[in-house]
Amino acid sequence: MELDRPLPSPITPEAKPFWDGLRERKLLLPRCQACGHAFFYPRVLCPRCHARDIGWIQASGRGKLHAFEIAYQAFHKAWKIKPPYVLAMVELAEGPRLMTNLVNVEPDPKAIKCDMPVQVVFSKLTDEITLPLFEPVR
Amino acid sequence: MKALRDKYCIVGVGETEYSRASNRTTRAMAVEAVRHAILDAGLTAGDVDGMLDYQGGDSTLANHVAPDLGIRLNFYMDVMGGGSSTEALVGLAMGAIEAGMCQTVAIYRSMNGYSEFRIGGTGARAAQPVRGLDLAQVPFGMRSAGQNFAPTFLRHMYEYGTTSEQVAHVKVAHSKHASQNPKALLKERVTVADVVGSRWIVTPLHLLDCCLETDNATCVIVTSAERARDCRPRPVHILGVAGRVSKPRLDFHWAHGPITRVAGYYAKDIVFGQAGIGPDDVDLTGSYDAFTFTTMLQLEEYGFCKKGEGGHHVSSGVIELGGRRPNNTSGGHLCEGYTHGMSMVIENVRQLRGTVDDYCPKAAEGVHTYDYAPGRCRQVKDAEIAMNLGWAMPPLGSALILRR
Repeated sequence: MELDRPLPSPITPEAKPFWDGLRERKLLLPRCQACGHAFFYPRVLCPRCHARDIGWIQASGRGKLHAFEIAYQAFHKAWKIKPPYVLAMVELAEGPRLMTNLVNVEPDPKAIKCDMPVQVVFSKLTDEITLPLFEPVR
Repeated sequence: MKALRDKYCIVGVGETEYSRASNRTTRAMAVEAVRHAILDAGLTAGDVDGMLDYQGGDSTLANHVAPDLGIRLNFYMDVMGGGSSTEALVGLAMGAIEAGMCQTVAIYRSMNGYSEFRIGGTGARAAQPVRGLDLAQVPFGMRSAGQNFAPTFLRHMYEYGTTSEQVAHVKVAHSKHASQNPKALLKERVTVADVVGSRWIVTPLHLLDCCLETDNATCVIVTSAERARDCRPRPVHILGVAGRVSKPRLDFHWAHGPITRVAGYYAKDIVFGQAGIGPDDVDLTGSYDAFTFTTMLQLEEYGFCKKGEGGHHVSSGVIELGGRRPNNTSGGHLCEGYTHGMSMVIENVRQLRGTVDDYCPKAAEGVHTYDYAPGRCRQVKDAEIAMNLGWAMPPLGSALILRR
């Protein structure tokens, strides 16, 4: 099957548990074992206290739509999804914000509002890669 | 740093034609822009002994440009970067001269921004592999500057009630200014209805909210106030400069803190502190207009209006020629052409000299009509202090204050 979007590859060592978790339909977040700070994107050390002991927690998969944008054209050659599509910046209940796509919603500004509750849906692209997308909580 | 106030000047400015098909190399264009700035300053190639340039893997380095002009350099540096580099490099030029490394610095930017390497995310840039931090955004369709900034723009509308129509006034004002600029790519005046009626690129940006990718090269020359006295034009003095001031996080800016805040929040005290003035003292601004929203956000963050009132401010007539504090009197990136910020510094220098290149017959001699009807004058009357608000991204910006 032809892929409809650019794949994250190669996956960096510090991000591997994140992508491994997604294969099992779990949204994992890095959390510093020293100071308890949960953060995203995965990094080699805690951006708050610089500890290198990074653990992982399973996020609830729920959050709020901090911001969004509806794109009316593709900006990458490997992007085959027909516009319009919705880019979303989701603030997870655990604190960190991540970029994703909002799906299962009309790509219409009238149907989408900042701070609306959203939840994760897992989209399996290949045996390696499952993406965390989000949809409105109904 | 206050000790450097008034000690350095911009003495020469120059550019190539703005076009969408230069049919030339960035090397050839850089040579022409630097030569124009040298001639403008009344200098010779032998007087320039420093060179700074910035680029994103899309241009020609100083070690090719200087020899083409017969310039022997005592100092040069090629810098990675786009918007916000102009003001930062003016500050670095002052530092290099202050350190005794050189005496006069030519700063240039040369780009085939339309015919070769488009910033907007189409063309070659759109085929780059997905690596590093891109892993967390490109798989979701994120690639271009407009997409990167859109969360900030949209959240501003949500939190403060800013409307598309208000922000469209930035394009309206800049198109009015461009209609007085023989160099401008787009000289036709547009209306708010034209802007909000143009097609969507990515919400909340319509086509006419976005700047014009352009082929061009630009140059400004910095030297000491002492040497500036021997140059041909009236020297324009540097009162203060802030270079590439950042919010706490530069990557994934939308993931941290209040995303409606932009870098000017941190830069304003640096630049106004050096200059010893405040926003009310500024006669005209060059607020980087990669998009209509970037002008609005920066004017707000630097204190030209209250936080959250940027939409009202830019739609009140203040930023138009004839208004209290015109912005981007050349037409800026939205209408004159996209230069990564250089053209806005060049324009402010010309404004402070009183010799802006409008359609007034004796413009070069500083004689203007101050008639802002289409195809006439764009000189701001008695402009004494001009400010540049340089933008790279919501979390990264620079600023420069000049006086005549």
